Amino acid sequence: MTNQNKETFLDRIATKSGRARHQLSKHPFIPVNDLPETTLSGKSQDELFEIAKKNSEAVHVTFERTDTTSLASLLNSFLSKKDIQNLILPTTDKWSTYGLSEWEKERSDSAEFWLPESSRKENLEKANSADGAIGFADYLLAESGTITVATTPGQGRGFHFLPTHYLSIIPKSCILSRSRQAMHKYEDAISSGKLVTSNINFITGPSNSGDIEMVLVVGVHGPLDMTYVVVEDL
Amino acid sequence: MTISTSDKPFLTRVKESENDHFMQQSVAKAQDAQWDKRTAAREELGNWEQWRDLGEQIRQHVIKYLPDYLEQFSDNVTKKGGHVFFAQTDEEAANYIKEIAKKKNAHKIVKSKSMVTTEIDLDKVLLSLPDTSLMETDLAEFILQEDDWDEPTHIVFPTLHKNRNQIQKVFKKLGYSGTNDPEEMAKFARKYLREYFMQADLGITGCNFAIADSGLINLVTNEGNADLTMAIPETQIVVMGMERIVPSLKEAEVLDNMLCRSAVGQKLTSYCSFSGKQVVGESDGPSDFYVVILDNGRSNALGTDFEPVLQCIRCGACLNVCPIYRHIGGHGYGSIYPGPIGAVLSPVLDGYEKFGDLPFASSLCAACTETCPVKIPLHNLLIKHREVMMDKLKMDHSFNNVLMKGAGVATSSPILFKMALEGDHLGSAPLSKSKKTTVDNLFNYGHIEKAPSLGAGWTNVRDLARPPKHSENFRSWYKKHKKEQQEGVSHD
Repeated sequence: MTNQNKETFLDRIATKSGRARHQLSKHPFIPVNDLPETTLSGKSQDELFEIAKKNSEAVHVTFERTDTTSLASLLNSFLSKKDIQNLILPTTDKWSTYGLSEWEKERSDSAEFWLPESSRKENLEKANSADGAIGFADYLLAESGTITVATTPGQGRGFHFLPTHYLSIIPKSCILSRSRQAMHKYEDAISSGKLVTSNINFITGPSNSGDIEMVLVVGVHGPLDMTYVVVEDL
Repeated sequence: MTISTSDKPFLTRVKESENDHFMQQSVAKAQDAQWDKRTAAREELGNWEQWRDLGEQIRQHVIKYLPDYLEQFSDNVTKKGGHVFFAQTDEEAANYIKEIAKKKNAHKIVKSKSMVTTEIDLDKVLLSLPDTSLMETDLAEFILQEDDWDEPTHIVFPTLHKNRNQIQKVFKKLGYSGTNDPEEMAKFARKYLREYFMQADLGITGCNFAIADSGLINLVTNEGNADLTMAIPETQIVVMGMERIVPSLKEAEVLDNMLCRSAVGQKLTSYCSFSGKQVVGESDGPSDFYVVILDNGRSNALGTDFEPVLQCIRCGACLNVCPIYRHIGGHGYGSIYPGPIGAVLSPVLDGYEKFGDLPFASSLCAACTETCPVKIPLHNLLIKHREVMMDKLKMDHSFNNVLMKGAGVATSSPILFKMALEGDHLGSAPLSKSKKTTVDNLFNYGHIEKAPSLGAGWTNVRDLARPPKHSENFRSWYKKHKKEQQEGVSHD
């Protein structure tokens, strides 16, 4: 843990700017308007659902709606439709929250799990070999069709980027209007100690690129396709 | 300093660019497509001008308190077990990174797209290490690397100047045998790069925004290569320009929204990540985390008229509206930072000698200023560069400097100042009008009619008004009248 050349560097740029250091406590940032808070505010969950669906489909996401009783069959249908042979799943207690304990148990032999006790190499290789991943998102942002996920020991960074096909489960109650609302949630969770993480990903549809003649190509590094499943009743 | 991409003179570069018709067509197509996408994305958000006010305010605030925010950020990185290195020059930064690569015994290095690493010529430095290979993993940067390190032409779309046949030819050298279909070629690149990724032991990224209050790094991409760079290798090095900082996640979120809409017309790009050193319990992500904070000429703008250029969030929107960029493309500028932002920034970073032509590569139409999401007055700064250059490089200040130095000495010493007031009438006599000015005698010469060199300016066209005699000047008059007032003398 080093902080090399800090004082010399900061003194030098302060002198060049003609402004003294250590003024921030007297001049904190106060935004000139509240647009991040008010844009798309005051919507019901049903309205946010409709906005989220429209915007997710606009970024090439397959958008599904179901409830806990039908969720297992929807997941099976995803596995068969994508012809997934090597599935990777997260280690989390969310399976029971979604009524999927039995479904998860049935897959304990055939699927791989991102395990907290496994090494970096083991988990990454499992994810790299997987042609499908089913994970859990923290929030879905209606405005942009974005899922957000904080890295946990049971659902690491590579889990979201290495598999070929990706399905994310989100409770309807966790649809937020915009990224600002997600930031509030994450800042609160981190400052209260409820969330300990090194990484938060905002994922908006599949990986893509326009680097060859500006032609949109889907799936350059990350998953080739994305499916969002919004679960009601939660 | 390696922001320069060409040794050729500006006009030669422009001529060459004018002859590259494919590039010109590609740029025009990209500008037109981005115009529609960008406008639609901003309109859908609504209140765009007020969003710009907020974006400008955030950027101006952090630049104003830059040392404080950098201190907060670096302290938070180190608190979490990371390392921070403050580099004044490109050489310092590149050497530090090279030492880390040596210390970590890195053999396979992956990089995600980063202008600032291009600025410090990092690829070349790292490739000088024995048994070390390096891979640019952004699709466009990968193409440029494999095409013998060709130079980028746009800060968001680096391969805008290449067509699919040229790219197919590049990939054939790597064993590709498919068609020139972009999707097929992208799949080949995915497989090729994935194999390399899985063996990588050192990852290098840039940084869209550093989050001061948490020590996290915010990266905005569409392909996902930056996230793999931050997930797979055990060591990550982040290289950031010192101005790329925001107070908290909230301001990062605002700027990400503005950046994505302005750069590619998306509400958010596929991946926006906020990331730092691995925490206990996590198995991937960097267990060793380094941040290099780079000045490299940026501080030349601090406290000057050019300070607003540090507000830039590298969206490239100014390139996408610029008629000059449309005509000469990125290579015409000869800097890794092309377009209006490059024409302002390049001379600030590396001086007028190399980049003095760029402020003149503008029609001053102000489209760049109008589209900038953080309200950088780009066309005004281009004019300012011209003014500074004219003043600094073309004007002879030697006589003025001596004169002003003398005036400084005289006015700061009461004795000398008093002597000057007493002697000004007499001393100015040779250059002053020899006769009293009348209607018939409006222009008359002083006692000296022709002076040599710079003095000729006075004798040829000017008549110096002569200061009054000491006994008639204001101080004497004031002194006399004050005394009379005190004594009650009336002039009525």
